[in-house]
Amino acid sequence: MTTDEDTEYAAEQPARMRWASHAPEVYKAMARLDTAAKQGLDPRLVELVRLRASAINHCAFCLDMHTKDALAAGENIQRIVQLNAWEESKHFYTEKELAAIELTEAVTVLTDGFVPDEVYEKAAKHFEEAELAQLIATIAVINAWNRFGVTTRAVPGHYQPGDFK
Amino acid sequence: MTARTQVLDRAVGTAMSAVSAAAKRGLGDPALAELVVIRASQLNHCAFCLDMHLAVARKHGVSEQQLDLLAAWEEAEGVFDERERAALALTEAVTVLTDGFVPDEVYERAAKHFDEPRLAHLIALVVAINNWNRVMVTRRVAPGGYTP
Repeated sequence: MTTDEDTEYAAEQPARMRWASHAPEVYKAMARLDTAAKQGLDPRLVELVRLRASAINHCAFCLDMHTKDALAAGENIQRIVQLNAWEESKHFYTEKELAAIELTEAVTVLTDGFVPDEVYEKAAKHFEEAELAQLIATIAVINAWNRFGVTTRAVPGHYQPGDFK
Repeated sequence: MTARTQVLDRAVGTAMSAVSAAAKRGLGDPALAELVVIRASQLNHCAFCLDMHLAVARKHGVSEQQLDLLAAWEEAEGVFDERERAALALTEAVTVLTDGFVPDEVYERAAKHFDEPRLAHLIALVVAINNWNRVMVTRRVAPGGYTP
């Protein structure tokens, strides 16, 4: 049997840059924005949204962080794994979560078009207005972190839940 | 068109503005900042953002020719200098993230023209406008409401 110690993995790639130390004011404002955006939303829903956007944007660091955060918050491993095929595994999620996941995809893949009315309206049916505004903000903010993570090639694997608290 | 919410939580809006302002300050080039912001808004099809930032760009003295040709900057060599072109290539890569990663050559080209602190703020500016683009497009905020 192969154990983890005798397996030779590919070398870890270094980060391109530690952007937060070069732009501390930006980082502080981003942290404030992150806290403000998720206010009033169910924490489990917030992690699902963050995980789905991070997968679409291919942010390795963000996937590492938010998988660990979701698990630490008591999320079920099946719901995390099935999230990337949610259209075929809807019975793992509530209708409200599904509406939020669908909106997450539309808002994340913006360069392909706009946010379709049917997607928006489904979300508007499940979220009251102030909550919907927070959901939209939360989707935008994880997209922002994804862009920092991917562009500066933040290294996945080292995050521990609570690191940025 | 169906009406969409115009609500944006005050704390969210304030923090978003702070991210944008800090990014712009750190980049230290208001005209270039507008080119970057307009190009991202074109890719994300944000009508409100285009209307607003075209007005801001004109206020900062960005030429009509640059604004006219921005969507085809790669084919307009004489109109944008190497530094602007490096920034625009990075803007596109960071904005269209769903197609792949940010290629090494694009990142390195930007790193040749911007030192690390400026590059960090340039990246932050692209991130910040992508943030606004998403919040404005999703709520379908009408263009024309902005006066410099």
